[in-house]
Amino acid sequence: MNLLSPINWLIAARNLLQHRLRSALLVAIIAAVTALMVLLAGVFTAMEGTLLRAATTLMSGDINVGGFYKTSLSQSAPLVTNYERIVALIKEKIPEASYIVTRGRGWAKIVSETNSAQLGISGIDIDQEVGFRKIVQLRAGALDALKSKSGIVLFETQAKKLAVKVGDRVTVLAPTPRGVNNTLDVTVVAIAADMGLLSAWNTFVSEDTIRRLYQLNDSSTGVIQLHLKDRTQISLVEDKVRNMLVANGYLLMDQDPRSFFMKFDTVNRQAWTGQKLDVTNWKDEVSFVNWAITLIGFAFTLVVLILVVLISVGISNVMAIAIRERTREIGTLRAVGMQRRTVLSMFLSEGFLLGAVGTILGVLAGVTIAYAITAARIPLPEGAQLILMSSRLEVLPTRGWILFALLFVTGTITLVSLGPSRRAARLKPVTAMSHLG
Amino acid sequence: MHRPLRLLIVTLLALHGTAAVAMSSEEMLSVLKETDLRQSNTGDYKALAYIEQKEKEKADIVRELLVYRRDVDEKFMLLTTKPKSEEGKGYLRLDKNLWSYDPGTGKWERTTDRERIGGTNSRRSDFDQSRLAEEYTPVFCGDEKLGRFETFCLDLHVKSSVDVAYPQIKLWFDKSTHNLLKRQEFALSGRLMRTAYYPKWEKLYSSSKKADVWFPKEIRIFDEVERSNSTLVLFKAVDLSPLEGNLFTKAWLESKSR
Repeated sequence: MNLLSPINWLIAARNLLQHRLRSALLVAIIAAVTALMVLLAGVFTAMEGTLLRAATTLMSGDINVGGFYKTSLSQSAPLVTNYERIVALIKEKIPEASYIVTRGRGWAKIVSETNSAQLGISGIDIDQEVGFRKIVQLRAGALDALKSKSGIVLFETQAKKLAVKVGDRVTVLAPTPRGVNNTLDVTVVAIAADMGLLSAWNTFVSEDTIRRLYQLNDSSTGVIQLHLKDRTQISLVEDKVRNMLVANGYLLMDQDPRSFFMKFDTVNRQAWTGQKLDVTNWKDEVSFVNWAITLIGFAFTLVVLILVVLISVGISNVMAIAIRERTREIGTLRAVGMQRRTVLSMFLSEGFLLGAVGTILGVLAGVTIAYAITAARIPLPEGAQLILMSSRLEVLPTRGWILFALLFVTGTITLVSLGPSRRAARLKPVTAMSHLG
Repeated sequence: MHRPLRLLIVTLLALHGTAAVAMSSEEMLSVLKETDLRQSNTGDYKALAYIEQKEKEKADIVRELLVYRRDVDEKFMLLTTKPKSEEGKGYLRLDKNLWSYDPGTGKWERTTDRERIGGTNSRRSDFDQSRLAEEYTPVFCGDEKLGRFETFCLDLHVKSSVDVAYPQIKLWFDKSTHNLLKRQEFALSGRLMRTAYYPKWEKLYSSSKKADVWFPKEIRIFDEVERSNSTLVLFKAVDLSPLEGNLFTKAWLESKSR
């Protein structure tokens, strides 16, 4: 009789069925922990997915060629001058790019009749923005209106704060790169659904509008964003872009994995004027929200570890009790010739069966609850939106995480069963048979 | 809250002046130079000032600060002394750069010369020496009656290659005293951004200048974009005696918050 023997599994299963209540309780606990793991992993995955989607739609390409232009030591502007040449070089030398967009970058005060807000403004050419059109969901208005007039696209929360609707006028105030105050009156042409934290401070105008506001010429833009055919190539292509720019005589800033607006202080301290380019990837541009990812990841790991330790202790104790109850049975089996190894495998099989049944049920429950929550589109309070990066609660467990939960919990339960099983296997037949427990 | 006051000021300073007689370029430049000269001091300048900021749906902010100037070297420094939470924060101009200091972080940040002071609608230029003749070219825009004052108005446009916060400003001067009474500042787009009133001017004899130094006792600033916001700047206790030699340094400003 060995570990794979069907009789062994049959005995294990019958033993579990004989103690139905205890087995059901253990299976329920294991299932609950597994379901929780699946749900937490789903929240984490959804959060990462939302962040990637929002970041590469609202703030960044997969790779960005941005930079600063300094008119004096103390004044810098997020500008790329003569950008057409760089775009041409990228098109020629970087075939990995699926499409390229240019965007103006700025930070301005938006003033409505009743309120004001400091917000980031991106100048976009809506015809170039393939991803933007697909991802941004409009609540009112039309994106195409950005082409024909001085318009602005706001997100729901911003529109609510400014108390404006499509068709209303707002004033955009910002200093030009030379520090001269300028204003522009624009019309709200569209209001989009919130996209979590990142949509809280991003607004969109046309590139022409941002050029007029900042008094820029047609050959200047804020950033050139590259969207790649294959996202797994980001770091390779990033290096390639960097080398290509240096080879073509461009001055690059030192690598700094932070968002462009966090670099003003550093750039203003540096003793140079003119143009320097900065190559970043999407993770760099949203590095300021990494704390949320780290926090959720840490909390997720901690909760799972605590739960696994607790159920391990529970399973270990329950099995120890079961072995004590069945000491005379073990003695009898050993007396009729059952090998120690077979006794060990019999009890290990019980642990494995408990783990496997519990985790399968847990995964089924977890996945069902996850899809139910996501389908319900439960709105999140503002505080939770900041952490979870989404305006609605989304739980999206992946196949990888489900498989991991299955293997990890079942493996842990089987491993925990090893101790009591070994103790059972080591019992001497005479001692076991005379046991009175 | 300040609207009635604003309306009152506007009403008092009602228009309908006498027929305007255009001033020559020399005359206008002379008025600007006179205004700059009156406010400058060859020695040092120290003033205790208060800024009160009113914003819609926000609690009023009041700050007490000390203003230090050494006009000969174009040195300038602001040190916030109250409230407690803002104590030790300051601005210091070194060469052409304006630095802000926050004792909370211990960090110096190079800011633009046009930055709002302490988040209020007041600017460095409201506290610094006047450089109107140096920075702007005037155009005569008529005589007006502002309340009981007979005034003339100059429309100033920034000179090329000079960087200022507002490329166009309009100034109203009292005809009899040449005191500046009203100032309007316009953005590059031509939009009116701020209107400031200077209802009181005072003078103090400077032994180093061997003449009087003029300073506004108060400035009432109205935000023309966010109409409900206003700022009041009060100057108290102006002192023209010599300041310490090493005053205009980062170390000195840092020492005030230790």
